Amino acid sequence: MKLTEDEIRKITLSAIEELGDKATPDKVKTIVKKAVESFDASPTDIKMNESSGRAILTAFGINKPGIVASITKAISQCECDIYDLSQKIMGDFFTMIMVVDLTNSPGDLKTVQEELSKVAEELKIKIYLQHEDVFRHMHRI
Amino acid sequence: MPYEFDEILETIRMTEVEHFDIRTVTLGISLRDCHDRNIEVTKQKIYDKIMKYGKNHVKYAREIEAKYGISIANKRISITPVSIPFDPFHAEEFIEIAKILDKAAEEIGIDYLAGYSALVQKGMTNGERELIESIPYALASTKRVCSSVNIASTKAGINMDAILMMAEAIKKTAELTKDRDSIGCAKLVVFANAVEDNPFVAGAFHGVSEPEVTLNVGISGPGVVLDAIKEAGYCNTQGLAEVIKKTIFKITRAGELIGRKVAEKHGIPFGIVDVSLAPTPAEGDSIADILMAMGLEDVGGPGTTAALAMLNDSVKKAGLMASGVVGGMSGAFIPVSEDMGMIRAVERGNLTIEKLEAMTAVCSVGLDMIAVPGDTTASTIAGIIADEAAIGVINDKTTAVRIIPAYGKKEGESVDYGGLLGKAPIMSVKRISCEKFIGRGGRIPAPMRSLTN
Repeated sequence: MKLTEDEIRKITLSAIEELGDKATPDKVKTIVKKAVESFDASPTDIKMNESSGRAILTAFGINKPGIVASITKAISQCECDIYDLSQKIMGDFFTMIMVVDLTNSPGDLKTVQEELSKVAEELKIKIYLQHEDVFRHMHRI
Repeated sequence: MPYEFDEILETIRMTEVEHFDIRTVTLGISLRDCHDRNIEVTKQKIYDKIMKYGKNHVKYAREIEAKYGISIANKRISITPVSIPFDPFHAEEFIEIAKILDKAAEEIGIDYLAGYSALVQKGMTNGERELIESIPYALASTKRVCSSVNIASTKAGINMDAILMMAEAIKKTAELTKDRDSIGCAKLVVFANAVEDNPFVAGAFHGVSEPEVTLNVGISGPGVVLDAIKEAGYCNTQGLAEVIKKTIFKITRAGELIGRKVAEKHGIPFGIVDVSLAPTPAEGDSIADILMAMGLEDVGGPGTTAALAMLNDSVKKAGLMASGVVGGMSGAFIPVSEDMGMIRAVERGNLTIEKLEAMTAVCSVGLDMIAVPGDTTASTIAGIIADEAAIGVINDKTTAVRIIPAYGKKEGESVDYGGLLGKAPIMSVKRISCEKFIGRGGRIPAPMRSLTN
């Protein structure tokens, strides 16, 4: 079992709470053991060391009706989850950025990219789908 | 959203508009266990080993390219300097080895394989002598093999005998490949203080202290730096250094990620990130343009060396902060034929060999991809190499010479290879003889490291 620093901190805090000022080495041992066993690893916001299953979708081009619908349809057909979405119209231009979770998709990133390139061709817009890691490495230390 | 709008757009702009790419993922393979007394068995061993590790190199790199949306311009292989494991062989057998290397590279689907090399800074073994003699023939009879020879180091001094041999090898290579604008010389590098983990061809080789197999990555991105400088507008030089550093930091991080992922796919250890600004003949992918954006009217005028020194230093500093495994050359490359801005400066008469030589004292490599008249004598070429080696040895840095004495061509003409090698206008060389000096031979002693005035 691998624990992150954050998770160890949470375990320690719960141990301190239970013990108060009556700590003995034996007591600490049993409580920590209990805490580790019952610990339910909750997902942290951005995991730095592990590769996430998320990708960032960027779409832009001349605005027209149905762009969001076509893209989201393609995404849902690939059984991907939309994690976050931000969309703006700048003059005649449509721009959209999406964080997409691919963990439950039967296909890999490449298959989703291929599906999206069909949509891009149909709508005459540009769609990029890149793994989240590249953004994380460039912009987060 | 876990990332700012601007951050995402910046990455997209870098990868899609400004030509940020991984210049090369280079698979380093040791051939030290491939020797056999029988040349045929040796060839088979070499072929099998390169295929064993390299057969999926291109496929894996393409998969990573698609996954991260960052293109990998070149997939290459470097090998143990051929003269080391195969020392007992003669020139004809070395040429056979070059041919089998060429065949392996072709089957893997890569454009260059480097490491037809020897390290002779202090002296030469019989095998090394044979290898150097075979270089012109090996380069003329193969397409993908690149050669390099280290002739000087700060610890050993400058091997003048080796320099003269290399100058003659360069002249011979130019002659043997005259029907293709002496292209053989574009695949031949003469080094001082060569590094063992350089992923950039033609000077790459898999050094003797390297592991069995490793993956090194060379990042690039002059276009990204150029746009960042333009966007920064007017600021003082400290401000400019900051702008360069921030940009390089980001592309180094991305480069390391890509390198590690390709190594992971291969299931082999990751080596180093070489953080180098390497130009290509594509418009906007030029070091000269960066120097001009910094405020020079043209490359080659006063101020060029200072601007290049700052650029080179900023690249190194940012690279070292961004990654713990920086190695190779790491700095700015100034190959003339591969950089549109440099080509223009030469054509306008603003950039001369003498100024380029000064620039090499502060950049990461040396006189790179320079075409000179075909009738330039071997001793003059040896003089140029010796000058460059002296800069490297005294300043404790890597320098190199990749010079093309274009057979049958004169100043004012040019050699054109197309593709990544680009086009080189033939530059003028001073016709003052150094024959008697070079002819003395021997070895210039290693320099002292104190009283550095």
